[in-house]
Amino acid sequence: MGGVIFSTWAGKVVDNRSLHPDEYASAGDLRLPLQYNGHRVTAFMSWNGLVVADDKVDVVDMAHTYLKEVQKLSCGECSVGYLGIKIMLGILARIVKRKGNEGDIELLRWLGVGVKENAKCDFCPSAITPVLDSLNYYREEYTKPVASRKKRAKSTYMTRVTAPCMEACPAHQDVPGYIELIRNRRYKEAVELIRQTNCLPQITGRACVAFCEANCTRNDVDSPVAIRALKRFAADYEMDGGSAPAVEKTKAVKPRVAIIGAGPAGLAAGYNLALIGYKVTIFDEQSSAGGMALVGIPAYRLPRDILERESDIIRRLGVKIKLNTKLSRDITLEQLSAEGFKAIFIATGAHLGREFDIENWRQGYAGLADGVEFLRDVNLGKKIAAKDRVIIVGGGNVAIDCARTCLRLGFKEVTIVYRRSRVEMPGRKDEVEAAEEEGVKIHFLATPVKVLTKGDKVIGAECIRMELGEPDASGRRRPIPVKGSEFVLPADMIISAIGEAPDLSFLTEGEPIETTEQGTIRVAPLSYQTSQMGVFSGGDCVTGPATLIEAIAAGNRAARSIDQYLTSGKIAPSEEDTKQRLTHDVGLWRQRTGGVIARRARQSPRQLPPSGRALSFDEVESCLTAEAAVKEAERCLRCYRVMLLAVASES
Amino acid sequence: MVRLTIDNQTVEAEEGWTILDAASKIGIHIPTLCYHESLSPGGSCRLCVVEITANGTSDLIAACTYPVEAGLEVRTNSERVVKARKLAIEMLLAQRPHSARLWESARELGIDQPGFTLKEQECILCGLCVRTCREIVNVGAISFIAQGIDRDIGEPSIEVSPVKCIGCDSCAYICPTDAITVDDVGDTRILTTPSGKLEFKLKKCYTCGKYWAPEKQLDYIIKKAGLVSNVFDNCPDCRD
Repeated sequence: MGGVIFSTWAGKVVDNRSLHPDEYASAGDLRLPLQYNGHRVTAFMSWNGLVVADDKVDVVDMAHTYLKEVQKLSCGECSVGYLGIKIMLGILARIVKRKGNEGDIELLRWLGVGVKENAKCDFCPSAITPVLDSLNYYREEYTKPVASRKKRAKSTYMTRVTAPCMEACPAHQDVPGYIELIRNRRYKEAVELIRQTNCLPQITGRACVAFCEANCTRNDVDSPVAIRALKRFAADYEMDGGSAPAVEKTKAVKPRVAIIGAGPAGLAAGYNLALIGYKVTIFDEQSSAGGMALVGIPAYRLPRDILERESDIIRRLGVKIKLNTKLSRDITLEQLSAEGFKAIFIATGAHLGREFDIENWRQGYAGLADGVEFLRDVNLGKKIAAKDRVIIVGGGNVAIDCARTCLRLGFKEVTIVYRRSRVEMPGRKDEVEAAEEEGVKIHFLATPVKVLTKGDKVIGAECIRMELGEPDASGRRRPIPVKGSEFVLPADMIISAIGEAPDLSFLTEGEPIETTEQGTIRVAPLSYQTSQMGVFSGGDCVTGPATLIEAIAAGNRAARSIDQYLTSGKIAPSEEDTKQRLTHDVGLWRQRTGGVIARRARQSPRQLPPSGRALSFDEVESCLTAEAAVKEAERCLRCYRVMLLAVASES
Repeated sequence: MVRLTIDNQTVEAEEGWTILDAASKIGIHIPTLCYHESLSPGGSCRLCVVEITANGTSDLIAACTYPVEAGLEVRTNSERVVKARKLAIEMLLAQRPHSARLWESARELGIDQPGFTLKEQECILCGLCVRTCREIVNVGAISFIAQGIDRDIGEPSIEVSPVKCIGCDSCAYICPTDAITVDDVGDTRILTTPSGKLEFKLKKCYTCGKYWAPEKQLDYIIKKAGLVSNVFDNCPDCRD
């Protein structure tokens, strides 16, 4: 976007229309798209205002086009929002055709203010903002005679609809969409909508970190909508009602694709490829599908039958899942190519514990374990004898999972030692609270420096206290050891959960697949193509340890790239990708304050009481009841944001 | 107890009440259309709009859905409120000019002619039928078709499920704009709804031979209440 001629963005009016370009006042730090597919963006209209960068833009035509897009999302469940916009569109249509009446502008403004003040949810009142701005500041454009407007070159428009929750979600799920379906008791349609971007709704409905909730507009009012619980409700409702998911097996007529790893990334890629007719085989080294969701997430958070059901749905699409098959041990990439797989997607995750570099670690003492390995052993059914006292080092979700698993195995005293304070803890806040309720102790601002031993056994850890210094690269304050503050924590076992890394030992010497300095597979951004043609990669083995939903998003995108590659031999970002990148930085929160929003209590799913639940691996959280789910869905403010870009026809 | 003021009168309201509940306690009338005391509030017609002031900011909200809060100042008749109500009823009238019920509200608000017109549509999406079917009949056959991204459904509307509907006609009874109507012709009940016509076979009374209620509705009641299957063989008039 060039020099801004006019802007009302975020409520700040910048009007340079009567000035020479050299004298233009700055519009501040607008983070709006400048270019769309090589064409100049000449104007932008959205919930937060109107921005014009070219005086040839036909603001009236733009307002009309924008409002038509807005109407598509106006739900009709409040008369003022829906009817107000409908009546305004009628008036705008006649003004655009130059058949406007005397007083139309006043009528439009009256209607617009009515919508802004008295519509029910957050959508119509915020969406109407730029139209009101155009009426206030471009009044003469609305009243100009036909002749003078005809000279304008008609703009090309590009629309994108998003919402704060959708934007925060790596898979950009249509959150307000499925919440609205739940509110309208259309549960089956809700889960179908979820599956369009997330093929594992039951798994993510339980174990997602829910970036969406962190970005929910309700955070500014009371507490975020329980989006994860709502997703689980819709997905579980389908299962509990015994209805089969509406996924149809497609005729597999397209080439064979091999996927290494049946984790969230691999399953998502397989699902999407099978849907469009590819013959997909997923190879996995474990005896069940699920990847990190299987070996990393304990059953009390994610029951095994749920994992089975969701991978079965993908099998039903015709995806073959070959288990107990490990890359490099049982198959090689070369063999797969030779067998006729035309593309390969590597999604092997990050299953290696990060090296714990303290004295006496890796010296063969009994009672030392690595977090991911420990969870894998437990989750795959290996018997582990409980001891009295265990120390878990780390503050992430793996550490919390280890701690709560230890309690369930019968350990008497479970202590987490974390080098920073509670606020910096990367683990899910509700998980940390649940662990503490169950009796897990957390030592903040401390770290072990030495394993204490007697004979060949571990008897404890020497720890040192930490204080927080300046922020490091992660933005969190760096922990600094406090001299002379050493203390001893007695323990029979120490588990290190300080991070995970991909195991890329299958990449043999001379393999053309490049890796990064961080020990991950290097891929081209967006396309997920590795340095070897036809080989793609995504998920934790590319990003390092991340989340379920990031892996699913990578699988979705990789499937699209693989399809492009096998169809045309070329990979180009999709229109949706381009739009996403363009509008990502705009910032979607309510900068121009809307009306008062009534506080409504968040509906929480029932939890097993802390006293008894740590004695078994039974699922701790239950599903919302239908009544509670509808009530919770009613809390959604429908913060859809419609963005309209006017694009110059010349480059 | 929550203490608030409505039109400068202090009200003691119970926790969980809406502003509409609190106003009615002290006899202040707020116009409504989509509200019914036996149903959950819908907040859709926007006629019950009032002005609230809390922490220095004032705003318009729907009295039927907004919960009472301590210290809230409510004005039910400010200039802003009156204007918003007039606009809301004018919009509804533009959509459905042939409705006695709407005209009743319009006259109460001092409107005798809407300022704009639309192509007439009988249903104003007030949701009374949706809530009645769910909360009173307990069947839930009527729902809104939800809008969403790439789900452009054209005109939003309600949908009556022919599978779930038992033909009881409660929706036709509650509808303020005759968007749903019922007509019993011979042995058939015809329910005319925005999503199409539904037909139900009527039960014939063993004694007098009159067709008196939809068979589907009677079967539903028998099943729900665990009654014997011949309990409705006679119409209410012929039952001893």
